[in-house]
Amino acid sequence: MKRRDILQSTVAGMGGAMAPWAFAQNVGALKPGKPYAGTEINLLTVVAPQFRAHEAKLAEFEALTGIKVKYQYVPFPSTREKLTAELVGQSAQYDVLSVMDVWGPSLYNLFEPLNGMLAEKKMDLESRYPYAHLRASRDGNGNGKNILGFPIRGHVQLMFYRKDVFDRLGLKAPNTWDEMVEAGKVISGKTDMAGVAMYYGKTAGQNLMIWFNYLWGMGGELLDAKGQPVFNSPAGVEATQAYIDVLLKHKVAPAASASFNETDAVNSVAQGKSAMVPVWWWRYASLVDPKVSTLKPEQVAFAPLPSMPGKPNTTYTNTWFYGINKHSKKKAAAMEFLTWLSHPDIERSVLLDRSMNEVVAMQTKNLLDGDVNVRYKGMHVFAAQALKGAKGTPLFSQWPQVSDVLEASISELVAGKARVKPTLDDAAARVRRIMRA
Amino acid sequence: MKRWPVHWLLLAPALLFVGAMALFPLGYSLILSFREWKLAKTSVVGEFVGLQNYVDLLTDDPDFFEALRATCIFVTADVLVTVAVSLGAALLLHRAGRLNSLARTLLILPFVMSPALIGISFRFFLNAEYGVLASAVAAVFPSMKDTVWLADSTLAMIAVVASDVWHWAPYMTLMILGGLASIPSETQEAARVDGAGSWAVFRDITWPQLMPVVAVVMVLKTVFALKAFDTIFTLTSGGPGNATKTLAYFVYEQGFNYYDMGYAAASAYVLTAILLVLAGFYLRLVFGKAR
Repeated sequence: MKRRDILQSTVAGMGGAMAPWAFAQNVGALKPGKPYAGTEINLLTVVAPQFRAHEAKLAEFEALTGIKVKYQYVPFPSTREKLTAELVGQSAQYDVLSVMDVWGPSLYNLFEPLNGMLAEKKMDLESRYPYAHLRASRDGNGNGKNILGFPIRGHVQLMFYRKDVFDRLGLKAPNTWDEMVEAGKVISGKTDMAGVAMYYGKTAGQNLMIWFNYLWGMGGELLDAKGQPVFNSPAGVEATQAYIDVLLKHKVAPAASASFNETDAVNSVAQGKSAMVPVWWWRYASLVDPKVSTLKPEQVAFAPLPSMPGKPNTTYTNTWFYGINKHSKKKAAAMEFLTWLSHPDIERSVLLDRSMNEVVAMQTKNLLDGDVNVRYKGMHVFAAQALKGAKGTPLFSQWPQVSDVLEASISELVAGKARVKPTLDDAAARVRRIMRA
Repeated sequence: MKRWPVHWLLLAPALLFVGAMALFPLGYSLILSFREWKLAKTSVVGEFVGLQNYVDLLTDDPDFFEALRATCIFVTADVLVTVAVSLGAALLLHRAGRLNSLARTLLILPFVMSPALIGISFRFFLNAEYGVLASAVAAVFPSMKDTVWLADSTLAMIAVVASDVWHWAPYMTLMILGGLASIPSETQEAARVDGAGSWAVFRDITWPQLMPVVAVVMVLKTVFALKAFDTIFTLTSGGPGNATKTLAYFVYEQGFNYYDMGYAAASAYVLTAILLVLAGFYLRLVFGKAR
């Protein structure tokens, strides 16, 4: 039986298991008669190859509706400021805006609830998107009744590793964080590579993305039910110690990991300097892109993110959604655009476009698609499974402050001059003050 | 016919422009600093809270005091090193010569570079795996071979200061060169004829006449250092920990990360007050003596 057949049968099996909701979905229809022909809508979005691929298909949308769409891209570090400017100015310059899940609670005032328009089009998003992604576009910190947008870009975390190196050294992909450290020791002992590229530096909270898995895996939590910090519990202290020990005690991460951000860590693997990197799945494209990587696709394999010994896997999602500006004068035309853009076939065509390696799939139908899984060696089937139990980014309006406190603490700890318990206690005191304000 | 209405009429466009571009934002932000406005909760400016934002800032915010401490270290080191480097370079380049003319022309290049780009470049230069600067330092001092510059609070501060000095020192050098050019050469020549050495000429003739220019350089550099943001944002993001988070970065965080506009405005006014006090102190110190 060929690999393709195996993958397709796996997908068919999973599809059956997930039925009936998986494929019984209403994707909504465009309004007949081109009622908004001649309208031009403006979209503000973060830079991503996926969105450039969408933009390349706009002629098709214009032919169907007569609506023109203009894309304006903003680099990730500037996106939040741009959205803030829109929020303060209450302008109607952009009709559609992209926003990341963690920013959502601070920016609810910027978006028009879509419930009425979704009902009118008989669109049921719950049947189309995994809950882990859909919660990001709901108000009320992910639990509200209003849907503010369509999940458009989202990620699960994977462990990418050098298959050729692992095969040569007789290693297996690590199932636990301890196994990752052990594999790292073998690799750094027998090759001139570092075991695993970690990222402990300060950049938009990136040094928390793997820490969360340690925290949750060890049974810790960020906040308790009353919204008070509990990350400095014994489990939190142990998890944080284990997280920084990868660098400080076991020394299986490159020394530069202390100041790495996510991109630096991915580059370390792409340049052949490290053998593993736990990171978002979309990074696969840059790991195998000959323009930016020394690696060939057959050298890069992926596995689920490791877990704590004897504990279930934890993973974490990150989601972007496209919503309609509350102050837009062209909401109906914008909704037509989102209806068209969110059709699963658009996403599927980008996934199967051989000119790029864009792995991002948001819709359950595409996560389970046979051709998509054959192309990406079953990555999406795994993602669909992982998303069922995935925790999302914590959603509350004070998250940006809390994130800054925590990322500063991690960054301080890997400098090697502070101890875990007092540092987390100090961070908890600061978080209590933030939550009180 | 009285002439005053014509004067005001002619001045009106400029006054309107200044009012709209400078006075209105200043006044509006001052009003905001006395109000609660958490943008995440409402897009409407909230209630009047008096001095509460200032009280919270000055009595109940450990981040503010950390930022104040980092600012003091950064500004002091940055201003002193920049002035020393600029003064030294200006004295070297003051002599005539083709090479010096070329050097003066090249001096403008670092100044025209974007601070954000300088921060990113220094981040690359100091990368522990492939950074040119990190490798060069390690070649001279082998004990620093595995040093991760941006993960150490002291070294990260040195990196931030170095990048800012690299950016500003050339411009300040040009300013001091201008000052040197305005000093009459006759007095220096007369001193030399009377047997004064180079150090004595500099100490007794050049420096007293150059001091007002150096004072202006110091005031300007202090203002620029207090406002420094782009380089820090792109080079260290205020890290490691909060070691390089200055007050300007703190204000940015309050407004654009945390959406607490009233608190951000109050923080900005505290920063402005510090800036005015320092500028006043410098000017009084130098020009006060001259009176």
